[in-house]
Amino acid sequence: MSEDIKVDKVLDLKGLPCPMPVVKVSKGIKDVEVGQVIEAHSTDPGSLTDFPAWARTSGNEILKTEQDGEVIKFYIKRNA
Amino acid sequence: MDNKMRDELLNLFRSKINRAMRYYLETCTRCGVCTEACHVYNSMGQTKYIAAYRHEIVRRLYKKYFKARGKIWPGFGEAKGLSDMTLEELFDAAYSCTGCRRCMVFCPFGIDTQMLMSIAKLMLIGANAEPEILTMLADTSIEKGKSLELFKESFLTGIKNLESEVVEKWKIEAGETAIPVDVEDADLLYVALAGAHSIIPAAVVFNAAREKWTLSFFEAVNFGAFVGDPTRTKLIMDRIIAEAKRLKVKEVCICECGTAYRVMKQLSGKQPFKVSSITEVQAGYIREGRIKLDKTKFTDTITYHDPCQIARNGGVIDEPRYILDNLTDNFRDLTPEPKYNWCCGGGGGLVALGDETLDFRMKSARVKVDQVKATEAKILATACENCHTQLSNLNDHYKMDVAVRFLSSMVADALLPQ
Ligand code: SF4
Ligand code: SF4
Repeated sequence: MSEDIKVDKVLDLKGLPCPMPVVKVSKGIKDVEVGQVIEAHSTDPGSLTDFPAWARTSGNEILKTEQDGEVIKFYIKRNA
Repeated sequence: MDNKMRDELLNLFRSKINRAMRYYLETCTRCGVCTEACHVYNSMGQTKYIAAYRHEIVRRLYKKYFKARGKIWPGFGEAKGLSDMTLEELFDAAYSCTGCRRCMVFCPFGIDTQMLMSIAKLMLIGANAEPEILTMLADTSIEKGKSLELFKESFLTGIKNLESEVVEKWKIEAGETAIPVDVEDADLLYVALAGAHSIIPAAVVFNAAREKWTLSFFEAVNFGAFVGDPTRTKLIMDRIIAEAKRLKVKEVCICECGTAYRVMKQLSGKQPFKVSSITEVQAGYIREGRIKLDKTKFTDTITYHDPCQIARNGGVIDEPRYILDNLTDNFRDLTPEPKYNWCCGGGGGLVALGDETLDFRMKSARVKVDQVKATEAKILATACENCHTQLSNLNDHYKMDVAVRFLSSMVADALLPQ
């Protein structure tokens, strides 16, 4: 977990092929309140572009992206 | 439903009526030949899944609102009006149809259920009643096209991470790039899916064949087509056309994605490049002696599932068999022949809807399972991402005991050093 961000829910999307990570993240974000943050773990390299594009169209915000070996961690704040 | 909404939906219906559609709407004689042709009906036995029954839901609106008889005597015959009830029926009909067009090859008039269901899908979008996941995925693709500069860096980082795996499988000369991106005047633009499995084996084969290729910034899949939205379909397709023109490539090669291939091949219009599937390209390399395959690599019996959008609806039927002839002495084709091949049950956006449709996808594709089992093959190869996911789900659910493989990755695994 990133030290400076308070995470309200973790989504494990590892091993899921495209487009499932972005499908699950778009559903998963609805499980937290507006203003809360989810941390999503994906191993699909497509997520690196899919997640920011989805965030822009859905009005949510990616606070931070971290690469941890094969795993890409996204910290996403629900804004919409 | 209020009158304003009804008029809007009827305008969408009207926008779909052209000569071909009028023919499909007016010709059905209810002969019943298509009844057994649909894998959904054949597997589940419910009347609502008969192709002609699906058409009727659209056709009766046509009769009521666009044909003289329906207009004059609205209560006559089956010409029922548009209501919330109808929207539910339209959803059921359209999102239980994979658009495989197997019924069309049986119909004596060649009535295209997929086209008729595209009316239903467009009206559902108008009513905000389409599966929102598909629209979200389409919009994400479009956004990537609009703001390429913002996503370029992350894309390139993702690709750099894959290069060592490509080189491990096929050495490249010093100074060459394992996965070239954004190369002007390359011969071939490869449009992949976002996952590594769609990029690495393809790159290995391109490099082995010494192709002058470049990887597209965009993923091939067209979610606009799945959701039946012509505007979004075009926007997603146009990103790739613009990139191909900018790089001045001669050929756009679509990865193993059936819908992406059919959309680009049939809807892109006249362009300065040709469109091919990766299966055609790899078959060409073998034919020209640019790559050679080791026939001892796969010893188990192999069968091949023709993706509907690539084979029946795209005409790529001989090429995968040519590859398989060069890959194995143990190929056993499915029965019936490719034109009448059973759909895997995952098309039309059903696989992208994931767990939501899993139960239906398993029940509606029982005939596919029987067809594969009859070959007793141990490897089930295919050339479409959707089919691969659906066949893997079927494999787990029905304990088919096969290895589901992408044909292109088998080619990469069997490459002989030259
Ligand atoms: S297109 Fe395929 S799924 Fe749709 S009705 Fe025809 S056979 Fe059935
Ligand atoms: S086969 Fe063609 S004409 Fe006959 S019922 Fe089916 S759609 Fe109608």
